[in-house]
Amino acid sequence: MAGIDCGDRSAREINAEIRQLIQAGHNDIWISNPGARHNLGVGLCVAARIHIQGSVGYYGAGLIDGPTFEIAGEAGWGLAESMLSGNVLVRGNAGNGAAAGIRGGTVVIYGSAAARLGISMKGGLVLVAGDCGYMAGFMGQKGTLIVCGDAGEAFADCMYETVCFVGGSIAELGNDAVVKQPTPEEAGFLDATLERYLTPEIRAKKPPGRDFKKVVAGRKLWNFDQREWQAWQEAL
Amino acid sequence: MADDSLPYRRTLVPSGVFLPHVIEDIQAKAESGLYRIRGYGTLRPRHWATFDDLTFLPCSLTRIPLEGYRERCLTRTVLGTRFAQKPIELDLPVMITGMSWGALSYNAKVALARGAAMVGSSNTTGDGGMLMAERENSKTLIYEVLPSRYGINIHHMKMADGIELTIGQGAKPGTGGLLLGSKVSDTIAGQRDLPIGVDQRSPARHPDFLGPDDMIIKVEELREATDWQVPIVIKMGATRVFDDVKLAAKAGADVIVVDGMEGGTGASPAILQEHTGIPTLAAVCEARKALEDCGLYGEVQLIIAGGIRDGVDAAKAMALGADAVYIGTAALVALNCNRPLYVEDYRKLGTEPHYCHHCHTGRCPVGITTQDPELMERLNIEEGAARVANLLRAMTLEIQMLARACGKSDVHHLEPEDMAALTPEASAICAIPLAGTRKIFGG
Repeated sequence: MAGIDCGDRSAREINAEIRQLIQAGHNDIWISNPGARHNLGVGLCVAARIHIQGSVGYYGAGLIDGPTFEIAGEAGWGLAESMLSGNVLVRGNAGNGAAAGIRGGTVVIYGSAAARLGISMKGGLVLVAGDCGYMAGFMGQKGTLIVCGDAGEAFADCMYETVCFVGGSIAELGNDAVVKQPTPEEAGFLDATLERYLTPEIRAKKPPGRDFKKVVAGRKLWNFDQREWQAWQEAL
Repeated sequence: MADDSLPYRRTLVPSGVFLPHVIEDIQAKAESGLYRIRGYGTLRPRHWATFDDLTFLPCSLTRIPLEGYRERCLTRTVLGTRFAQKPIELDLPVMITGMSWGALSYNAKVALARGAAMVGSSNTTGDGGMLMAERENSKTLIYEVLPSRYGINIHHMKMADGIELTIGQGAKPGTGGLLLGSKVSDTIAGQRDLPIGVDQRSPARHPDFLGPDDMIIKVEELREATDWQVPIVIKMGATRVFDDVKLAAKAGADVIVVDGMEGGTGASPAILQEHTGIPTLAAVCEARKALEDCGLYGEVQLIIAGGIRDGVDAAKAMALGADAVYIGTAALVALNCNRPLYVEDYRKLGTEPHYCHHCHTGRCPVGITTQDPELMERLNIEEGAARVANLLRAMTLEIQMLARACGKSDVHHLEPEDMAALTPEASAICAIPLAGTRKIFGG
């Protein structure tokens, strides 16, 4: 275990020290006074555990492959963007574009997520204990997006194969988004996932997996087709 | 005598408005209910000012030329000297632009990489990420980060010699990429995490930043991801170039690419190729003014792209302020695009050699813009690489030829004063006197 006090140092210096500590054999690193700095932990590609004792700015844990980040505060825009693998857990809320374009790994937001959660995600798992803003899941390609609370407008707009689950209400479905009933297997997966990541107290306040709404693409926009003119007019 | 026996009755005069191709366009849309989609770039006759509206003024008595075939004229090109630890160093100023593996075949991508490497130039990945064979065959490889983030991979980024953050492209600024289902093969779909056969429409905006202020942080993220080693390039389609270039420079770009409206594309709505963006000639002039305006001309390098055909276009772009040029379509033409081979297959597409712009169909008769294994086989990688290398060599010799004639011992010393304008428009755009006058129009 090792610690870094951010003090008034730049993200570049802090990230360099994280890498140096990992090279020196430390797998558990505690970072204090992050001061919502941007770009903390970017590009880290080892299976270390990084505990950030505060909030991060833009692109916290962006472009990572392997590490686990536990962020005690809030996160700015682009949390964990383009992650290949690893875990990013945020105790507070996350700004726009959380988990944007992730190709694998897990992002858990214990608070709420702002707009464009999981935009263009290409794999992995995103779990939000609270609510999410507008356009969550936009153009989602693969992976699973779970929102335990309410979802904002244009939810799951223009998706490919991302599968979304919402425990609360959906303000408005996005273009080509279709609501379905989770299968028993999916309900079981939801129960197990929520049990794994949420405390029993918080889990108790969330609906059972079978009561989540499943949202997938209606596939009307996958190929150009004049029969779906109205959908295309809104999509483009 | 019947009217129809008169000779003038036999002269076919089309409408000046509803020309044959306009009629065809209307009728095609009336059948499909969709806008037209095609590849290649603008098909319009260029009635706007182009590089052809400039001429070089080689030395006579006022300046002394270098020996055209003998004296040294340097072509070494260094890009990314502002912040990167390892700037891009090339043997020549003509680079291969980003074209995706998906829009192009595996063979085309590898041939471009190998051809560029043979002469010390660079190539660029494209939408859809890095093809490993491309990395292995490249000397200098620039990794594009596009709004779609298809295939994005931190390990590949760390293997690159430069990172290009693409905001837009010249053929279709303000819109995302397009790859029709015929090209979204199982391999390409796997690479991009998409279902096989979808008409893939890429996003126009990056998912995690919106404006220039956010982009400052994004640029820093890309530097962190690559440990501040390699240059960060920002590429934009040419629209509001003066403002955009200043914003990109202030966001921390090492290098800026401005891609003019004559740039090509694998597929796009045709109207975007014809009616959006500004010409490459205008773009380079605005870009230079912008860098001068913010005091970064020379510190931030400028790459110009969009319809560059030969060393003449390249030399003129460089004289106007570019440090290097990108070629895309010209490199594909070197690979035999539009060559009269497999003519029957051109005809199956409803076209002919020299007229083909059917990249979007995935049925490229010469194996360049296709994912069909049989068609792809028609492009021999070795031969293709040699042709690309030869084109890059020939273009460089052309640039040197013009530079020496203008008395320059380095191609980067070419300057606006080495040229005259042939039209008032070019004079006004380039701030170069019209030939036969000492007057800059509009100046």
